[in-house]
Amino acid sequence: MGIFGLAPLLLVFPLIGVLFNGLVGRRFVEYNRQTGEKWSGWFGSLMALSAFAIAVAMFFGLGAHEFHAETVVLFDWIHVGDFYVPWAMQIDTLSVTMMLVVTGVGSLIHIYAIGYMHGDPNFSRFFTYLNLFLFFMLILVSGNNYLMLFVGWEGVGLCSFLLIGFWFDRVNEKGETMNANAARKAFVANRVGDLAMILAMTLTFWTFKSLEFQPVFDSAVEMFESGHMVHFGAFEATLGGVLTAITALFLAGAAGKSAQIPLYVWLPDAMAGPTPVSALIHAATMVTSGIYLIVRSNVLFEIVRASEVVIPGINISSPDLVALTGAATAVFAGLIAFTQFDIKKVLAYSTVSQLGFMIAAVGMGAYVAGMFHLITHAFFKALLFLGSGSVIHGMEHGHHHLSHGHHDEHDTFDPQDMRTMGGLRHKMPTTFAVYMIGSLALAGIVPLAGFWSKDEILAHAGTNPGWIFTVVYWMLTVAAFCTAFYMGRQLKMTFFGKPRHAAAEHAEESSPLMTRPLMVLAALAVLGGLLNFPFFSESAYKAASEAHDYGINLALEHWLEHSIASFELSEEGIVHMPHTPTWIQFDVAIISTILAVVALLAAVFLVYRNRWQTADERDPLQSTPIWWMAVLPFDTLYMKGIIPLFNRLADFLGYKIDWDLWHNFVHERIIRDTFVGFANFASDVLDRQGVDGLVNGAGQLTRWLSGGLRMSQTGYARTYALSILLGTVALLAYFLWPVIF
Amino acid sequence: MELTIDWYIGLSAILFSLGALGVLTRRNAIIVFMSIEMMLNAANLAFVAFARHLGDLDGQVLVFFVITVAAAEVAVGLALIVTIFRSKKSINIDEINLMKG
Repeated sequence: MGIFGLAPLLLVFPLIGVLFNGLVGRRFVEYNRQTGEKWSGWFGSLMALSAFAIAVAMFFGLGAHEFHAETVVLFDWIHVGDFYVPWAMQIDTLSVTMMLVVTGVGSLIHIYAIGYMHGDPNFSRFFTYLNLFLFFMLILVSGNNYLMLFVGWEGVGLCSFLLIGFWFDRVNEKGETMNANAARKAFVANRVGDLAMILAMTLTFWTFKSLEFQPVFDSAVEMFESGHMVHFGAFEATLGGVLTAITALFLAGAAGKSAQIPLYVWLPDAMAGPTPVSALIHAATMVTSGIYLIVRSNVLFEIVRASEVVIPGINISSPDLVALTGAATAVFAGLIAFTQFDIKKVLAYSTVSQLGFMIAAVGMGAYVAGMFHLITHAFFKALLFLGSGSVIHGMEHGHHHLSHGHHDEHDTFDPQDMRTMGGLRHKMPTTFAVYMIGSLALAGIVPLAGFWSKDEILAHAGTNPGWIFTVVYWMLTVAAFCTAFYMGRQLKMTFFGKPRHAAAEHAEESSPLMTRPLMVLAALAVLGGLLNFPFFSESAYKAASEAHDYGINLALEHWLEHSIASFELSEEGIVHMPHTPTWIQFDVAIISTILAVVALLAAVFLVYRNRWQTADERDPLQSTPIWWMAVLPFDTLYMKGIIPLFNRLADFLGYKIDWDLWHNFVHERIIRDTFVGFANFASDVLDRQGVDGLVNGAGQLTRWLSGGLRMSQTGYARTYALSILLGTVALLAYFLWPVIF
Repeated sequence: MELTIDWYIGLSAILFSLGALGVLTRRNAIIVFMSIEMMLNAANLAFVAFARHLGDLDGQVLVFFVITVAAAEVAVGLALIVTIFRSKKSINIDEINLMKG
């Protein structure tokens, strides 16, 4: 046990933060705004940092433990018959990687948020939610079974809902509560994926009689080797078929949480939340849970790949479907990002696109590359979001400065509209510098973090045989081109040129509380590539493994090897993991770098060269088909196609099935009328005629009899005397009869 | 002719029957009352006759009881008749039919 005994603290610290900020934080802030915010914010941040410290301890603990996974059981959770689920934490290289990312980036964003949320009336509520998010996210990544993962999965969905709708009372000019609507949209879109998750878990338990990761994977491998069928009562199915269903459902779950086609629509709207939320939840951590899920379930995906079972109808296997979904999303969202004017919306579509990269990577079996991109993306995308937050803050500051002069009640100024920005590099130099680094890292310019991770995915797609890999490679290359282009466009619109609005002219640099976390993230965005640096891995790994000193080996590939490629199959059922190049592929790298540079330069010096002199200028792409992407995609499909259909179905179900058939016919005609008929029979026939007749009849009889007997009571003494006499005579006759005769 | 027990019993039976007939047929309460007295005394006569015949004094003792009870009965009965007369101005027992059902 040793150091792993500290693992529960990982969950305890954020929970303390939730309790502190939820119960007393508000009092602090209300009592004294200035110091109250410090207490509330720093306490929340301190809890995040403490969790980070624990995660670091776990990291070194694993190093000292020769990377063997450790399970820390906190208590038995569910134990009903065969169904056993412990509340246990799995400490292995994969979960610790996620913990480090979540708590590390999370801590920086907590600190940034102290500056960003300054002055918000619900300051402590924000930190309550943020800590609650960390709590659930850590459950998600640390659980040793699918059910715990699902608890975290739902919990972060809840926090996402709460934080997107953090300013739920804000209304737009039409009086619509846009933020609350966006929160609801995210929640509903996620429900679709969650349903798939529940089905997948049910099927998993049905097949393997367990929900714990290791037993599930072990029995899956064992069943694969023995080639046994899976029995569901009277039915039986091949293992490959069942796992295809499970993994396809996992893909649907991941599509909901990680914003893939066709469920990505909620993520751009989620930008209604405060910017630190966009950075933490909707870029760096929560949206990567889908990738984590697939990486965690890599054994199941690889068995499907090895058993060569295809999904009927589309004739591709489920891991290939994952890869194609990711690649399609990457291109699709990358193109939509061209058409956005909102600084955060561009980043949102960029996130969708980059998540597509990761999903494509894990679908191709490049789990390490996917995780690598997840980590570097967390760095530079959090950096970009926080940088955009800094820009928005600066713009608001500039606008605030203006409105001191003239009070304009009907001002529709939008501090997030890039058309009103321009020239901010002089006003906000620090933000500009870090934003530049983030953009270049995202665009994949060597030697920043994004280059290494994105290239590893591209190399994986480019060097493996098969049409799937080729298609994915070209789609991802196009997506990489798009990435560089929209980032060039954004940089040009935001930081270069002349200010196009008075607010941009008066914009000011944000406080150090906000810029310092940005610098840390910028450093990570620069150096993140070292995590899986090719120069490190081979020799360093050999040296380290000979010296049994795992602590210094940074190479992600070998670090994650202990969680990912942890299964070996017998000779018959060998799994051919797609080949992952150990060295950077120069041809792929050169193509992608040239494309990125060309795209950046094209955006800045060609397409947008003379643009953006004034705020109402049209985008030159506005007259090209690319602009259709802004209106055509899935949102429209949902609004025009699925929602009316759904409404009609709901109408049908509601009015025809529920009201007419169920209520009016079944309830009213069948159940009620039958019941009323029976009740009438019971009341009229049985009760009134039967029971009442009996009772009344008894009464009538008594009255009739007594009426007859009454006649004997004449009231004349003589009559009584006569009856006494006759009685006496009769008695005498009776007794004397035998004596006399 | 010797007076045997039969004569006494016969007289007693005749007296009892006359009394009973009087009770059943007369309407004047006083007459009914007197008829009852006659029946009681018929019974007394039978008691005394049997006591004498059997040489046993028990019957004679009983006669004293009967006389006592009859006296008490007369006292109560006459009082009732007087009271009824006061309220009804009549002692015709056919008019006294409050017990009619």
